[in-house]
Order: sequence, then structure tokens, then C-alpha cells
Amino acid sequence: MSIITFSGVLILLALTVRTFAILSGYPRRPKPSEQNLSNSKTRSVAVFLGSGGHTSEAMMLVSALDFSRYTPRTYVVSEGDTLSAHKATTLEQSKAASLSSSNTQMRRQYNIEIVPRARRVHQSLLTTPSTALLSLMFCIYLVSIKPLFAKSGFRRPFADVLILNGPGTCVILCVAVLLNKFIGLPSPRIIYVESFARVRSLSLSGRLLCRIVDRFIVQWPELARRDSRKEYRGWLV
Amino acid sequence: MLVFVTVGSTKFDALAQAVLSESVLKSLHDKGYKYLVLQRGNSDVGISEETLSLRREGVDIEAWKYKASIQTDIERADLVISHSGSGTVLDVLRLGKPLIVVPNPTLLDNHQEELASELENLGYLKAASVGNLQETIANFEPSSLVPFPPFDGSAFRALVDEEMGFQ
Repeated sequence: MSIITFSGVLILLALTVRTFAILSGYPRRPKPSEQNLSNSKTRSVAVFLGSGGHTSEAMMLVSALDFSRYTPRTYVVSEGDTLSAHKATTLEQSKAASLSSSNTQMRRQYNIEIVPRARRVHQSLLTTPSTALLSLMFCIYLVSIKPLFAKSGFRRPFADVLILNGPGTCVILCVAVLLNKFIGLPSPRIIYVESFARVRSLSLSGRLLCRIVDRFIVQWPELARRDSRKEYRGWLV
Repeated sequence: MLVFVTVGSTKFDALAQAVLSESVLKSLHDKGYKYLVLQRGNSDVGISEETLSLRREGVDIEAWKYKASIQTDIERADLVISHSGSGTVLDVLRLGKPLIVVPNPTLLDNHQEELASELENLGYLKAASVGNLQETIANFEPSSLVPFPPFDGSAFRALVDEEMGFQ
């Protein structure tokens, strides 16, 4: 009996230490620049398109990137959000048209992943846990399981960098990445950009994620005051 | 001249009703706005039709429940009156259109007010309430607005490049 208790305590201790290590970033996870990314000159990028204004902002952020460096690109869209999927396709087409012909291999290297919503607008709070769980299961599949079978080999994460702008479902995606980190699989760096709409207070997603993500960027100076974790670099959208 | 009004994709009864009121339409007419296109969303303005044309106070009005894209409406407009949703605000200002915003006070997590007053302080737009919309239109001088800076992706590009080890 005492052996069972003892091993239980030991496992619990190990899990606590691991969780703390991940959340505090110690031992420091090397940046991809310091890792050997199989000498790759490109990085894969994933972005969550949260619909409406969030999608507009996320699309502007992605459009700022050099697509010949950031390839392939994964757009994560909520179920039923055809407008966001359409915007992703439109951006890819316009970027493909502007890339030179020498970069043809960079063209159309993107995919759109559809995840179930954590909570629909006006959905009852009673049924939210079950839809959130379904959403989490799918995110785990996307972040942890799918890369194991990818042609690029399982040493590569589902994306090298994940860009988030809110709302709700992006928290679930972030939890999936944390679980992925927890079991020691290669994980993306997470850059969270708070919405331009947030002038004096963080969004709920922002408050939940600001201690968890690798970079937390705000777009109004007041939000970055008294907290060195929050970076302000002017307007990004 | 054409004024385009959007209340967002949800509902904002008070704003939709205000722009169709006699006093606001008169002010618009006095300022030379003879055409008005309204996207009312689910707002209750006593119209059940998906789209309806009417004429009030000498203003030709086209009332839509929902438009798939408002981009061309913004491009055509000489003035935009809008809720203070950040997506619409950015779209309108980037197209260089004079903008009057009316924050929706019925939204639960109300940050529309903050964005509106901050952008007004910087001189990019005029913020109004449903109550003073008529006076705001009457006193509005589009030429007094500060031009909005164009989109600049360089800061974000530099940030991601740095994080991903590109120098």
C-alpha cells in the first residue's frame, strides 16, 4: 500500500515539475534558430482565423510574412466559417500571382483545417463543455497526431510558428499545443497578437493565454505597461 | 452624395432607427447627402423585407438586411456611419472615407467605446452616440480628420523573422 502511495506521490511530483517547467519556459526551449531544423531555409506557419474582425486582423498579419520563407502555411478555421476559408484562399492566390516564377515550388503550399467550435454564439453554457471537448480532441489530432504521419517526418511540429489573434477556440488550440509540449513532442512557438480593438483591457482569450504563449503582443501601449511579458510594437494591422 | 450606414452583423436597433429618423435624415439632406444605403442586420426598424427602397425627407434610401460584402458600398460612399467594430473601422479608414462611429452600448463586453474614443482623440474619426448623432452630422467637417496611416506589415514581419531565426 505504501509503495503505491509512494509511487503515486512520485508521479504527481514529476507531473508538477514538468508542468512548471513548460509554463515557466525552463529549461529554456531553444528557438528554431538554435535548433537544427534540418538546415531548412523555410519555416512552416499556422494561423487561427477566428471569424469576423479576428480573421481580418489575422489575415493582415499573415500577409506581412515573406511566403518564400514561411511555407507551408496552415489556416485553421472554425466549422461553418466559409468566409474565413474564402479569405485564406484569396490571399494565397494573390500572393502566388505576385511571387516570381522561380518560386513556383512555394506556390499553393497551404492547407485549410476545419475545427469544431468550442462554443457557438448564444450556445447554452450547459452544453459548452461537450462542444469544447470535441474541439479539443480535434485540435489534439491536428497538433499531435497528424504530424506523426506527415511526409516531413515526426521530428517536425505541425507548424514551426503558430499565430493567434483570438477568440475562444484559439484557447483550445493553445491547450492542445501545451499537451503536445507536455509529452515532449516538437511544438510550435506561439505568437499571440491581441486584437486592435483592445485598447485598455485584454480580451478573455488574452487574459487566459498571456502567461502561456511564447510572445504576447498588444497593439495599444497602455496594455503593455507594468508587465514586461507584454510587448508593444505599434499597430500591426 | 452617398452615405453608407452599417450596424454590424448582429443588431443595433437604436442606431438603425436613428438614421431613419426625420431629424437625422434632414441633417443628412442639408449636408448634401441625397442617397443612403443601410445595412441593418437584425435591427428592428419596422422593415421585414430583405431589401427595400424608400424615400424619406428627400433622401433615397436602400435598406438591406445583410450584404455579403460591404467593400463596394464603402468605396462608393462619401460618408460612412458605423458601429465601432474594429474590422469595419479599419476597412473604412484604410479606404480613406470620412467616418462617424456610434459604439453599440448593448454589447456585453463593451470595448467599442474605448476604441472609438481613442481613435477620435487621434483625430482619425468622429465618435457619436445615438442621442447626439444628428448634431454630430450637422457639425461634421470631413476635412478636419487626420489621414489614417496605411497598413505596414514590417513590424510584424520583423518580429516573426526574429522569433524564427531569420536575420
